Amino acid sequence: MSETRQTTDDAQATADSELAGGASPGTDQPLEVTSGETRERTREEWVEHEFEGEAKLSVSDLDVYYGDDHALKSVSMEIPENSVTALIGPSGCGKSTFLRCLNRMNDRIKAASIDGSVRLEGEELYQDGVNLVELRKRVGMVFQSPNPFPKSIADNISYGPRKHGDLDTGLLANLLGRSDDDAVDELVERSLQQAALWDEVNDRLDDNALGLSGGQQQRLCIARALATDPEVLLMDEPASALDPIATSKIEDLVHDLAEEYTVVIVTHNMQQAARISDQTAVFLTGGELVEYGDTDQVFEDPQSQRVEDYISGKFG
Amino acid sequence: MAGATDTALVSEDTSETEAVAAGAVGLAAVLFALSLASVFELVTITDPVAGVPMVALLGGLLVVLGFAVVTFGVGSRLGYVATDPRPTAGLLASGTFGLIWFVVGGLVASQTLGLGTAGWVVASLVTGGAAFAVSALPREDIGSTLPAGALAVFAGVVFLTGVIGPSWLWDLGWEQQASFNAEFTIPVLTAFCSLLVGWAAAKAYGGFGARGRHIGAYVLVYLNAISIIALLFLLVAFTVLKGLPGLFKGLAFGAGAGPEVTLVGVTFSLPVSWPFVMNGVALLNDVNGVLPAIVGTIWLVVGAVLFAVPLGIGAAVFITEYADRGRFTQVVEIATNGLWSTPSIVFGLFGLAFLVPRLGNQKSLLAGMLTLGFMLLPLVVITSRESMLAVPDEYRDASAALGVTKWQTVRSIVLPAALPGIVTGIILGVGRIAGETAPILLTMSGSVAPPGSQTVDVLGGFQLQYAPPFVTNPELMQATSALPYQLYSLITAGVGQSSNISAIDEFRWATALILLVVVLGFYAIGIATRYYFRSKLQHD
Ligand SMILES: Nc1ncnc2c1ncn2[C@@H]1O[C@H](COP(=O)(O)OP(=O)(O)OP(=O)(O)O)[C@@H](O)[C@H]1O
Ligand SMILES: [Mg+2]
Repeated sequence: MSETRQTTDDAQATADSELAGGASPGTDQPLEVTSGETRERTREEWVEHEFEGEAKLSVSDLDVYYGDDHALKSVSMEIPENSVTALIGPSGCGKSTFLRCLNRMNDRIKAASIDGSVRLEGEELYQDGVNLVELRKRVGMVFQSPNPFPKSIADNISYGPRKHGDLDTGLLANLLGRSDDDAVDELVERSLQQAALWDEVNDRLDDNALGLSGGQQQRLCIARALATDPEVLLMDEPASALDPIATSKIEDLVHDLAEEYTVVIVTHNMQQAARISDQTAVFLTGGELVEYGDTDQVFEDPQSQRVEDYISGKFG
Repeated sequence: MAGATDTALVSEDTSETEAVAAGAVGLAAVLFALSLASVFELVTITDPVAGVPMVALLGGLLVVLGFAVVTFGVGSRLGYVATDPRPTAGLLASGTFGLIWFVVGGLVASQTLGLGTAGWVVASLVTGGAAFAVSALPREDIGSTLPAGALAVFAGVVFLTGVIGPSWLWDLGWEQQASFNAEFTIPVLTAFCSLLVGWAAAKAYGGFGARGRHIGAYVLVYLNAISIIALLFLLVAFTVLKGLPGLFKGLAFGAGAGPEVTLVGVTFSLPVSWPFVMNGVALLNDVNGVLPAIVGTIWLVVGAVLFAVPLGIGAAVFITEYADRGRFTQVVEIATNGLWSTPSIVFGLFGLAFLVPRLGNQKSLLAGMLTLGFMLLPLVVITSRESMLAVPDEYRDASAALGVTKWQTVRSIVLPAALPGIVTGIILGVGRIAGETAPILLTMSGSVAPPGSQTVDVLGGFQLQYAPPFVTNPELMQATSALPYQLYSLITAGVGQSSNISAIDEFRWATALILLVVVLGFYAIGIATRYYFRSKLQHD
């Protein structure tokens, strides 16, 4: 699972701690080393993040199990309004799982059971009587793998608003002269512009979306989520299949979005996280949230040794 | 591998030996085609072909082919031909050859030599065992050519010497006087032997070994597929040829040639007169026709589809999208599968005992529609469910994450994606119910040979009234005829001789042809619909 990048110093440190089987020189925490990963006890204060203003989302003591598999372990986290929060961590550490808890998409997985509390503007999401449809209108999501509908590009974008009843292009509306065709065209163009896809597809909006390339599909899914105008946007590795140019456009978009929206974004790219996010949460193997705080602080001066190892590329 | 030579990555130019083997494969294919042609009596076995009677030609070709493959196998074994054989032909081939020669030995001993039970069993065991040994023990080149070639030579000699000649007859000695005649036996045996020899020759062409097996299997599968297509084609061609004379009898074109029709208040004469599909059966008709039955069949299918499709899709949506997967959906699944395999006569009986008394207490078009609808229902449920399950969950997740309700997701995403599959199911189902006789017999059969005036006019039959039930349609409540039912009664019950149909045989075949055309017409509509929905889902 974990892998050691062998710089001379690191190799020395690893060898030392392996020999010592316990305390490693230079840190005051009790350390244990197993196959390159430092073992330490996580501390509550590492995940406390002070910020001004209200929390948009506050998560407390969230546990997720897939059957017997304990995927998220007692995660607590306050996400401020109108900001970008990056979630980083090695593969399989539970980032996607955490993200899915924020709009209750985990409810759709049979094996998943969730325990704990998530509040959106103070309102508990995990209680009876929550309107999931309304929740997901307010908390939109871009999935890890692109999943456009087998419909035309334009239909993919306008799907959400049309089904919400915000736009009506049905036969009856057309007959009654109340059709929102112009509004739809405008929405499609604006969303595609935002997702940096307009220039590539503006001449084939009626083509089937499955004919797009993987990276184009990814941007289409971003545009589709933007079209429904959510308050919170959850993005699971939205730039994993994009070239540097498209990636930087998406990063600009995320940056712009943060003025009005609350964005939570999963990424495997540390530079990206450092560039675009206001605060960063680091999950490590086993489903623990190890450190959460101001992005600059997390990247420049992490409190946890394991986070430092992870960020400097020692494992994961 | 013992005895295996290295296989070159790039094979050199076709060698002469390969050309000979390829020629043998081609000859076997020709022989197979010839024997199929004579099974279907396109050529008779006594017909001279190039001055030789057919049976002699078949026999001669078999002998030549048999010797060719045996020579090839022996040549390969002795090292004259470069091949790449395995140490043995394999258990499957050996077992097959053993079984074939077991049967041959038994038949020769008991039928030709007239030995008793003990005699033929011993002979069978000897020949079968020998064939098994010859095929299993030596190297593959001998093992797969010798038994096949020997069989072909043996069969050829039997035909040539006239042991099984054109006048040969094998009376099985049963009470019913069942017997095999030469017209059937010779072509079938030839087809079988030519398949075997073709397979052996194809293996030889590939130089045995893995490549040889591949080519051998390819030739077998190919010949098999072609013969199945030929069979289908023959079946349709047979019906068409027999049906055409009756179908087009009295066909005439020209202004005012056809019967008068009234469309949107305008009355005019059709420019075609096609008596068989425009007339019923009546004393004064020059040419009798089956118009009432055609219209009856079409309405039956339309009614059944209108009834079963919405219900079936609705049920499938419920059990796939809404009900929790568990005991309940399992029971529903088993029940629908069971219903689909229920014999149609049982549905017919249900219609007769349950529907008929409740729908005006007489056999009626409506009762027939509903009965066929019940038959169609399970297939619609099964195929709709299958194709909805095949819609990826990612679509449902994506839709849910956009804040769209479940029902809207089902309607706008799941159903459109599943429609091509659903339509396929409906096509299959319609093919079955359109030709169904038993349920119609019990629930809606009217007169066997109805006059043209008894054609149902469902659309024109609707009547409004001011008291409940507000809309009535006497046409739906009447008995009418349908093509399969009419065909059935024309053939088995012998009805028709007594009525005014003159050339009864022609009339039957034309009815069969029309039924075929109506069913194929529904197929065409279904396939066009499916194509339309599918093209909307796919790019390009
Ligand atoms: N649907 C599921 N059913 C069962 N187990 C699951 C499911 N989804 C995730 N898991 C498990 O939960 C753990 C966390 O998975 P998750 O998808 O959240 O990881 P991740 O951090 O998003 O990884 P990646 O960076 O590779 O996407 C993994 O061990 C995984 O096996
Ligand atoms: Mg993930």
